Amino acid sequence: MSSSIALVLDHVTAAYEREPVLTGINGSLRSGGSLALIGPNGAGKSTLIKAILGLVPVVSGSIEVLGTTPVKARRSVAYVPQADTLDADFPVTVLQVVLMGRYRQIGWVRRPDRANRDAAMRALSEVGLADRAADRFGLLSGGQRQRVLLARAVAQEARLLLLDEPFNGVDTTTTEALLSVLDRLRATGVAVVMSTHDLSVAHLACDDACLLNKHQVAFGPIDESLTSELLKATYGGSALLLAGGATIVAG
Amino acid sequence: MLHDLIIRPFESGYMQRALIEVVLLGVLGGIVGVHVMMRKMAFVTEVVQHTVFPGIAIAFAFGHSLLLGALCAGALSMVLLTVGTRRSAIDSDSFMALLIATFFAFGVIVVSRQRSFQSDLTALLFGRILTVDRQEIVDTIIVGAISVIVLWALHKELVMRAFDPAYTGALGYRIDVIDLVLNLVVMLIVVAAVRAVGTVLVVAFIVTPAAAARLVFRRVRTMMVASALGAAVCGWIGLIVIFHGSIDHGWRVAAGSTIVLVFTLAFVIVWAASAVFARRGRGSGSAASVEAAS
Amino acid sequence: MKTLVDSFHTAIFRRAVFEAVLIGAIAGIVGVHVALRRLPFFVVAMSHATFPGVVIASVAGFSLFVGGTGFGLLVVALVLVLGARRALDDSSVIGVVLAGSFALGVLILSARPGSSTDLSAFLVGSVLTVTSGDIITTIAVGAIVLAVLSLLHKEIVFGAFDRVGAGALGYRTWVLDGVVLVAVTITMAAAVPAVGTLLAVALLTVPAMTARLWTDRIRPTMALAATFGALSGFVGLCVSAIWAVAAGGAIALTAGVCFVISLAATTSRSALQRRHAGVAGFGAA
Repeated sequence: MSSSIALVLDHVTAAYEREPVLTGINGSLRSGGSLALIGPNGAGKSTLIKAILGLVPVVSGSIEVLGTTPVKARRSVAYVPQADTLDADFPVTVLQVVLMGRYRQIGWVRRPDRANRDAAMRALSEVGLADRAADRFGLLSGGQRQRVLLARAVAQEARLLLLDEPFNGVDTTTTEALLSVLDRLRATGVAVVMSTHDLSVAHLACDDACLLNKHQVAFGPIDESLTSELLKATYGGSALLLAGGATIVAG
Repeated sequence: MLHDLIIRPFESGYMQRALIEVVLLGVLGGIVGVHVMMRKMAFVTEVVQHTVFPGIAIAFAFGHSLLLGALCAGALSMVLLTVGTRRSAIDSDSFMALLIATFFAFGVIVVSRQRSFQSDLTALLFGRILTVDRQEIVDTIIVGAISVIVLWALHKELVMRAFDPAYTGALGYRIDVIDLVLNLVVMLIVVAAVRAVGTVLVVAFIVTPAAAARLVFRRVRTMMVASALGAAVCGWIGLIVIFHGSIDHGWRVAAGSTIVLVFTLAFVIVWAASAVFARRGRGSGSAASVEAAS
Repeated sequence: MKTLVDSFHTAIFRRAVFEAVLIGAIAGIVGVHVALRRLPFFVVAMSHATFPGVVIASVAGFSLFVGGTGFGLLVVALVLVLGARRALDDSSVIGVVLAGSFALGVLILSARPGSSTDLSAFLVGSVLTVTSGDIITTIAVGAIVLAVLSLLHKEIVFGAFDRVGAGALGYRTWVLDGVVLVAVTITMAAAVPAVGTLLAVALLTVPAMTARLWTDRIRPTMALAATFGALSGFVGLCVSAIWAVAAGGAIALTAGVCFVISLAATTSRSALQRRHAGVAGFGAA
């Protein structure tokens, strides 16, 4: 199982309203693998994630998710949005948010039963927030909210995880919790794709990297991809080369 | 023929006054409307036009100046709006709906104590553009002059605040003060227009011309000029339609509604035209970008 | 008080009370979805947009409910089409459409003699003249709307909370949106005989806001909103009977008064809790 292919991107061009925003994405990810999407703001990282979800049309090339089309694979794909894009005033509890990951299994009309609640609670304990289950989602800190959203993806029991800037503005506790949960999931064969512009976290969390800025600059093992030349090609003038080969990017 | 169509309607004094009032309101609404649209605050306009109603109703019931009543109620609702939406616990849209519902309900209750409830309610809700007198025109000119001077003086700050509120705040501007000023200007223009077109149709004078101008023009000042001119011309056409409809054909038409429908019709025409042009433009544009990509 | 007791002896008044309480409860529950999706402006717009439908139905002689619903749905479609152009934000489009459709309604009505009576009845309601047919319509609408909303409850809430997340799981979010918009539109049309198009806004927004002040949970919010809506209907009608004022206005104003009282009560309650928490120490906070 762990050797099968989770995601194939075959010369993908994605477009909003026929305007291509992302071209030439080409590569693949095996089950249990993890891929970092790296590039400056507006490079098309979110667009690529939405294309993998089947929410943005692919105008040429193709995307294969878990051996089928993005739309058919949706139930096995978990999307983790940035926590601060959600309404903090919304009257839902933490447990309700995590349960949303199981709605597709539960089905229309029926309400979550004990087994679903237990699964949601297990996912919450895994991110260390079981004691906050009854609190309103908006009362949690930004990092805690991000962990709740990861717990929702865990509860969904997906085979592919798509995370949009999961480490953006979160505390170290959250970063560590996210990394350990992702490691455990990958050990069970779950593939992970995350967009980020934090190169050090990308190094910690991912084996492969896709560098992109409207088009693909590089796709391959992270050590070979995060080179000064390739980063400069991705970030253009905003990459700063330091003595000793370190690279700082302003993304 | 042309004389009969265009000049004859305005031979009588009441039609002349109506024309002056409609053109004035069209210009004012068109100008402030562009600000309203930049800030996506069409809903605030809707709030003002409903919340001035109880003021007008009370002034009407006790024989005071309608303008004064509308000003007091409008100012009260704008202050409540600014204070209420600062409390983050309440969603601002919900709060505005609350203001509309309660102020309007209060106005209805006040009017319902009058003996001639139904016809009074109708007059207050839909205005009487054809009975505008000299004093009302003078009021409109004064209110309009104040509004235009304020908008002109604060133009660049208002545009910056609409575009990037965080930066405006960082520069040391008081965002809430800028917002309150714009809300008050909108309120002034609503109050000026409310006796002519009534409390439920004022929003058309402010939102519709500006929305049409936005479809065609990209610069704020050209949008304002186009929106003001367009609104004035549509008001004039509306009056011509009313005159010929009621005098020549004996139609029973509501004056304010007819003018608003001319606005809406003009908007639909502009919308359709710009959609056609945009499709052509996009067709050639995407062809070009595909070439560039390949 | 005598007038109130006398009023309850008449079948007309009892029927009016039944209708007002019923529509208050239904609109209160639907209003919770309005608040969750931040749709109050849509509700205000629909209150103007259903108006021409009601007028056309009255002129042509068919059911006001059917006319209001039909025209309302037409306007929803129009807003979606006009708003598809990126240059315009939704609220501007809604503003244009609501003013235009309202003007149309007034124009059609003004062409008829004796129109001002009808006009005020459509705008602010005339609950004392509700017919058994109106009440049956309200019961049917309430049963259908509440059944659909409760069957799809968890999906609708998910779609409101996290649109992209729900779309990623394969839910057609526009269908969920559509279900709520249609529910709001037909509830509004059902409320016209009791409170009129303009004051239906009050019942579809204010009780839900009031309930939300008291609790953070959705289902208790719905129960409370239904209670506040029904209470507004009942108290409003009593007020209108005692002081001889417009019933629709009294119902809407009662809903507003409930909100103000709740706001004061919950604000002082949380202030008290904060003071107690302060005494207990900051650990719990």
